[in-house]
Amino acid sequence: MNAQRVITPRERIGEVPEKIFLFRSCTGSMEYPGTENAIKEALKILGVEVVMDPDQTCCSGYILTCSGYTPEPSLAVTARNLAIVEQRYDLDTYAFCNGCFGYIKELSHILQHNSDYMEMANNLIGQWGYKYQARTRIFHIQELYYLLLDKIREKVVRPLTGLRVAAHYGCHYLAQQYGILDEGDLPTFHEEIYEALGATPVFYKHRRMCCGYAVGRGFTHAQSVVQPHLSKKFDSAKEEGVELITTTCPGCNVALDREQPKLARRGFGPYDIPVISLDQLIALALGVPVWKLGFDANTVSVDGVLEKLGLGKGE
Amino acid sequence: MSRERDKDWDQDLYKKVDRYRLVENLEQCLQCGKCTGNCPVAAITPSYNPRQVINDILRGSPVRLLNSEEIWRCFWCANCYRLCPVDIHYPMLMMQIRYYALENGYGLKYVVPINKYAFRALDEGLTFVPGRKGIEKIKKLREGIGVDSWPEVSDKAKQEYRAIFEQTGVVDWMRALEEKTEKPLSLSYLEGKIGTRGEAC
Repeated sequence: MNAQRVITPRERIGEVPEKIFLFRSCTGSMEYPGTENAIKEALKILGVEVVMDPDQTCCSGYILTCSGYTPEPSLAVTARNLAIVEQRYDLDTYAFCNGCFGYIKELSHILQHNSDYMEMANNLIGQWGYKYQARTRIFHIQELYYLLLDKIREKVVRPLTGLRVAAHYGCHYLAQQYGILDEGDLPTFHEEIYEALGATPVFYKHRRMCCGYAVGRGFTHAQSVVQPHLSKKFDSAKEEGVELITTTCPGCNVALDREQPKLARRGFGPYDIPVISLDQLIALALGVPVWKLGFDANTVSVDGVLEKLGLGKGE
Repeated sequence: MSRERDKDWDQDLYKKVDRYRLVENLEQCLQCGKCTGNCPVAAITPSYNPRQVINDILRGSPVRLLNSEEIWRCFWCANCYRLCPVDIHYPMLMMQIRYYALENGYGLKYVVPINKYAFRALDEGLTFVPGRKGIEKIKKLREGIGVDSWPEVSDKAKQEYRAIFEQTGVVDWMRALEEKTEKPLSLSYLEGKIGTRGEAC
């Protein structure tokens, strides 16, 4: 909406951190475990240490947005998770799921600007010795990639030459409105990353359109709502000859990847566009062994893309 | 659908809906309609109209709103919030309208089935853990890429996660929803409004 919202990664994050706290994503670690692996491997190459903690739980945002429970526990869970980061590591928090990013950012914002909620949450988690002080800053891992863009360009060992890649940014990052890296309507920083990797970025008409997963792919609204919506998106991607879509949210990845065969059964498409995470694409170009990226988890096979790059699954 | 009656109108509706004070600036709504123009749900379900929803809440007209199926169609993409010139957090409003509807017995079919997953999450500290077969598949996948066979969530984390839900009374809240009787919904939010019968505005 205005120029203030477009800031450089240096303004947003500052210097490249030596160490980050990586916030576990439920959907990410269960549906596409290769994503978390890709982040760790890629950041190892880029010289950033990753810390995780087994005491961190789900961000609890998803079911909250389905109105499946009330905000109190989610506020307390957020305070607890972030207190762990502050008290044990004193690091900034990086989520790799737009959902986690959006929810913890939103919920911590509510805590910080509403002393009643902060008190409620801290009283509750105080029984285990936690205290949330809003010291840890909350980022998305894609922001770190953009900050590391030059280094990524340097470290590419498998250039993705000729690969037509299209972005799906995901609403819960762009809809944050303030303090995100790019303009919410026409973001381009993923495309800049593709170029750094040697791939060809492709713009398609509905690139900015929601994946439809956000609240209840199968729960709060029937398939009759999501599928026609998604088919518009895929039609426009197909028209532009997109060979691969990347996401920065495991939820979006589930919706876009798992839904394609279902769309075909309902008379849409057919579509055959593999969907992987941006982390996996970067790790691929940086030379991380393909078997570590867990492409077996994908519904729409990534084999065609790997073949085009002259790679086997076992490499 | 029954006609709205004078006594159904509620001047305090906005305050009642926004009880968690997560919106707070709804009165600033300009009725510009950017939210509706950019809403992917409104594009498919023309009778769903965020601008109309805000208007009805401010004017205090709950009847059509609460029993409409439309309020359950929002999928929280938050593009309305991103574009709003006065930064109204519409998704937070939608979440709270749904609480209000649930309290009145509407829309239980959209929430009660999720309880199963919510209760499961209390045991696991992770949301959407699948059944036994699904777990086996995940373990195989994870082992195949050389990581722990299950996402590392400690017992301490699980216990504290559950305790937070129990101590905030949310477990009881979820159980109470299951026992409520459901009132029927109608997919005709704009029906009956002068000049818009049967078509989207």
